[in-house]
Amino acid sequence: MAVKVRIPTPLRQLTNGVDMIETPAGDIAQVLQHVCQKFDGMDKRLFKQPGELNRFVNIYLNDEDIRFLENLATVVKDGDDVSIVPAIAGG
Amino acid sequence: MALSDIAEQLEKSDPSLARYNRQMLWEPIGIAGQKKLKASRVLMVGCGALGTVLANTLARAGVGHLTIIDRDFIEINNLQRQVLFDQQDIADQLPKAVAAKKKIAQINSDVQVEAVVADVNHTNILNYAGGCDLLLDGTDNFETRFLINDVSIKLNIPWVYGACISAMGLAMVIRPGITPCLRCVFETVPPPGMNPTCDTAGVLGPTVNIVASWQAMEALKLLTGNINAVSRYLFSFDCWDNRYQQLNVAKARDIADCPACKHHNYEYLSGKFASSTTTLCGRNAVQISQPAGSKINFEQIAVGLKAVGSPSFNKFMLKCTINEGQGERQRQHELTLFADGRAIIKGTNDASVARAIYSKYVGA
Repeated sequence: MAVKVRIPTPLRQLTNGVDMIETPAGDIAQVLQHVCQKFDGMDKRLFKQPGELNRFVNIYLNDEDIRFLENLATVVKDGDDVSIVPAIAGG
Repeated sequence: MALSDIAEQLEKSDPSLARYNRQMLWEPIGIAGQKKLKASRVLMVGCGALGTVLANTLARAGVGHLTIIDRDFIEINNLQRQVLFDQQDIADQLPKAVAAKKKIAQINSDVQVEAVVADVNHTNILNYAGGCDLLLDGTDNFETRFLINDVSIKLNIPWVYGACISAMGLAMVIRPGITPCLRCVFETVPPPGMNPTCDTAGVLGPTVNIVASWQAMEALKLLTGNINAVSRYLFSFDCWDNRYQQLNVAKARDIADCPACKHHNYEYLSGKFASSTTTLCGRNAVQISQPAGSKINFEQIAVGLKAVGSPSFNKFMLKCTINEGQGERQRQHELTLFADGRAIIKGTNDASVARAIYSKYVGA
């Protein structure tokens, strides 16, 4: 079992349409680093600078906002679900 | 006496309620809720994809007064998802707010609709929001959403956020002083070019309907006083992959150092972040706004435009395709000018090009 990271529609242009990838357990920073290494351009979409997420992107661990857990240091276990939720503009 | 019997008796004494019979039979709404809907005033900011579904649903539900503000006109590629409009509206060159009012009059003439053809911005939004019971988000840009958020907190009026692109949507109810606000959840606006637009990612009609119907459901709960049933989550809809999430944002209000709802520093309402030009989502177009109170003489401007195109106008707007340059440098832009001086210039995403066209043919 691994960690499932859900890629939202607006970011799938960077993943060739891939909607979910599996990463090893660790903490949120390690999980997102894995995602950024796998897909070019993801780094700029998620991070303002190393170690600091863009403020218009939220990360949820099993539906809980990581800002209210331990942020990037939040521990992620096998079987957990990580969702990337960017602010979207359309309507 | 059963609710159905009471409803039947009431319909006999007030035949205008008959159309709401199925809605009144739902006990949490009932007769009392229906009366509250009739007494309600709702401001709908934007009447495009989300906005038309919202207006359609609330008008059919019997909301007493709708103010619909929209800055835009109708294009053929709107009809795939903007449910209140049709081909005749395009032929008649009707602004969206006017076309929506006309259609709602045919659906439910008991609903009072005020159609406002204007760009909602920090100079005018308070004029429309004051006295409303609810603000609804039918916009297509972050700036206006954060503006609605400021107004909601300042005037203590709840609002329902909704947004969508391609097959994804987000929605949330904001109740000032009780729930987190939009800026608690998304602290800043993404910089231009950072997110895909409707132009690059597209948008599906069912996505719009799902998100706007969720907004409308929460609106009905709020307006009928069914507060305990109102969602406290950020809803995420991935309609293509059938993944729907209730994201827990309850702690955001306590933890985020929100300028709007914690410090009451209304940065969008103050105009700090206001722009006079806006690149429109997925439209290859730029909007240029003018200060409130500007008036445009279409006849006079049409005369000048005849040198570069064939302008046409009615009392709402002027349209002209402008051809400039020759050979490889030839460029074509479509100018749509509204009576308040606001313009939408199609054929560019460059604000400076749009400003140049405006100053050349309209006058800055």
